[in-house]
Amino acid sequence: MNDRDAQFEQNALTCLPDVARFARSLTRNESAADDLVQETFLRAYRGYASFQQGADVRRWLFSICHHAFLRIQEREQRMVLSGDAGEAGDADLETLAAVMGHVAAQRSGLDAFVSSIDVGPAIREAIDQLAAPYRLAVTLVDVEGLSYEEAAQMAEVPVGTIRSRLFRARRLLQEQLFEYARDLGVTSAATAKGPGRESTSIMSTGLDQ
Amino acid sequence: MSFTTLAQSEPIDCRTAVQRLWDYLDEELDAARMTEVSAHVARCAACGEHVHFARTFLSALSASRTDVPDATALRSRVVDALEREGFSSTERS
Repeated sequence: MNDRDAQFEQNALTCLPDVARFARSLTRNESAADDLVQETFLRAYRGYASFQQGADVRRWLFSICHHAFLRIQEREQRMVLSGDAGEAGDADLETLAAVMGHVAAQRSGLDAFVSSIDVGPAIREAIDQLAAPYRLAVTLVDVEGLSYEEAAQMAEVPVGTIRSRLFRARRLLQEQLFEYARDLGVTSAATAKGPGRESTSIMSTGLDQ
Repeated sequence: MSFTTLAQSEPIDCRTAVQRLWDYLDEELDAARMTEVSAHVARCAACGEHVHFARTFLSALSASRTDVPDATALRSRVVDALEREGFSSTERS
């Protein structure tokens, strides 16, 4: 075994579970994800000489994985990258909308459930239902812990685009969670919260005017 | 539009604070703005609730991360493919 292979095994292959998780979030299909992981590591191995030692190998692999995914999608002509219909245009408005969603949830007593039960399965299902650009943003920043800048580099879009996609994704996920709570029968009677009334008053006053 | 303002000395109001909510929790604001939001949230119970809820929500998102169950099998498959490219693994030498 040569040094290059030993380094690749030690640095890159140890990230395989992370890459596999990322690939599944991209493809939403186990078999396609496994193919994508294999393609990612083949590309990474072939290009390992270009990897700068000391750089973030996980981020490098994510980037290769994302590029490979896009190439596969282009080949299959299943994805339209231009236009980005429904693109979130105003991150600040998305943030306000998320807070208003919280206010409404406070009114109906839905907000407390997020911290009271395991919402992991519901969140994973909701992430899977997001359109690809939003799923990518929330996966990179909220699940994998990248900064806006790092996620923007990986997605090859401006930081502002990642930010607005992320904020829209979060709002949509919150809405899905509240819907999930309603389906579980969570009602205002279940969680009567005093302090919530104040913020409800503040937010509705501000946004209604 | 008139959001409730807590006090004359308060440098930012509720609307500004909640507009910065995600950037604040992601620590993507500059130091001065981080401080402004922190100061507001410390004094405003309503915005404090929004921050608390949003933080809980982000924690749930982060905690939703799961490991791929069959990573060992997948790794073996990847190593097989790499070996066809000339890769030599310590696992198999």
